[in-house]
Amino acid sequence: MQSSYNVHIKRIVLILFIILVVGLIAKQVLTPDSFGIYGHYRADAIHDEVNREIRHMTNASCEPCHEYESENLATGFHKKLSCEFCHAPNADHAKNGKKIAVMSVTEKKNINALCLRCHNDSLWARPEKIIKTVRMPEHLKDQEVRLNNVCSQCHYVHAPLKYINRPEKAKKMQETSL
Amino acid sequence: MKKKNQTPDLKRRAFMEKILKGTIAGSVFLVIPAGPLICKIPEQIKGIRGNKYEMTSKKFAFIVDITSCIGCGSCCVADKREYNVPDHNYRTWVERYIKDYDDKVYVDSPNGALDGYHGPRKDIKKPIRDTFFVPKLCNMCKEPSCVQVCPVGATFKTPDGFVLIDKKHCVGCGYCIQACPYSARFLNPETNSADKCTWCYHRVRKGLVPACVNACPTGARQFGDLNDKNSNVFKKLNGPGVISVLKKEMGNQPALYYQGLRREVI
Repeated sequence: MQSSYNVHIKRIVLILFIILVVGLIAKQVLTPDSFGIYGHYRADAIHDEVNREIRHMTNASCEPCHEYESENLATGFHKKLSCEFCHAPNADHAKNGKKIAVMSVTEKKNINALCLRCHNDSLWARPEKIIKTVRMPEHLKDQEVRLNNVCSQCHYVHAPLKYINRPEKAKKMQETSL
Repeated sequence: MKKKNQTPDLKRRAFMEKILKGTIAGSVFLVIPAGPLICKIPEQIKGIRGNKYEMTSKKFAFIVDITSCIGCGSCCVADKREYNVPDHNYRTWVERYIKDYDDKVYVDSPNGALDGYHGPRKDIKKPIRDTFFVPKLCNMCKEPSCVQVCPVGATFKTPDGFVLIDKKHCVGCGYCIQACPYSARFLNPETNSADKCTWCYHRVRKGLVPACVNACPTGARQFGDLNDKNSNVFKKLNGPGVISVLKKEMGNQPALYYQGLRREVI
C-alpha cells in the first residue's frame, strides 16, 4: 500500500516537472529576442518603426534640382507651403537623388479646386490675418475677367502676387505709347 | 543661388564615426539608420542627428493651434500619402465645428477632410454664430489606456514617449481601439492589425518634423522637444494664451496640446 502511494506522488511530481520544463523551453523559443528590454514589448518594434520609408521630404530637398521654383516659392506669399502637397511625395518622384517618375502637376481644370481648399471665403473660420480669401465667382467679376478663367491665368502659383500687376503695367505702357 | 545648410565634410565624418561606434557597442536601437539623402536635408528638429540618440533625454510635444487652422486638409493628404493609409481609415483628420445662435453644436468631417471643405453646410437652417476647425490625431498619452488593455504587449510606450504598435505582434483583437478615449485608432484592413498616428516616429528620429507639420501652410501644427528651451513648442507652452488638452478628466495626460481650445470640442 505504502509503496504504490509513493509511486503516485512521484508520477505527479514528474509530470509537473515535465510541464515546467516544456513550458520554460516553449517560453524561451516563442518569446522574441528583444522582448522586455524596455518593457513588456518587443524592443525591435521600435527599430522597425524607425526604418519605415520616409516618403515626404522637405522643400529643401526639391531645391537642388528646381532652383527657380524654389526661389520663387521662398520669396513669395506661398513660402509656407510644402511642395509635396500640390505635387506628390518626393518618394514617388526621386530616389537616391535620381528621378524615377514624372511629378504630377495639377491640371488647369482642377487648379481652382486646389486653390480654393485654402482660399475659399464661403467657409468661415478663415481669419484675414492668417489667409487671404476670395469668393468665387465674385472675385472674377470684381477683377473684370472672364468667368471661366482659372486662378493660374493671373496668379503665378509659386509666388501668387509676384506678377499680378503686369497686365496693368502693360496696359499703361500701351496707353502711353499711343 | 546660395546653397543653404551645406554640412562640412568634417562633421559628416564625425557623425559616421559615432554611428559605427554606436553599432559596435550594441546600441542598435539608439542609432539613426539615416540614408545619405536624409543627411543632406537640413535638420528640422535640432540636436537629433550627429549625436547618439538618448531616448530619455527628449520630451516631445505637439501643439495644434485651433485659431489658425483653416481646414484645408493638407495635413490629412500628407498623412495618407506618407503611410498609404487605406481608404476610409484616418490616422489624422480635421473636424469642423459649427455653432448656431442657440449654442447648438454641429460637428462634421466629410472623408476626414481629405478633400478639404468646399463650402458651408447646407443642412443648417439657423443662423450660424461661429465656425472653427479642430485637427485630431494620436494624443501620445503619458498614461495610455490602449497600452494598458493590450493582451499581447503589441502596443507600447517607448522610453521617449511615443505610443507605437508592433504590427508583427498585434493579433487584431481591437481592445485598444475601444480603449482609446480619442478614437485615434483603427483596424488596418491591409495588415489586419491596429494602426494609428505615430507622430511620424521614423521622421522624428531622423531629425524631420512629422509629415502633417511639414505640410501645414499656416503653422497650426507645431512639433518639438520640450527639453529644448529654444524650440517653438517650449516657447508656446510657456507663453501666454489658452492651451489645454482634450478630455483632461480621463487622466491620460496627453502630450498633444491644443492652443485656443474651446469648451465645445470633445
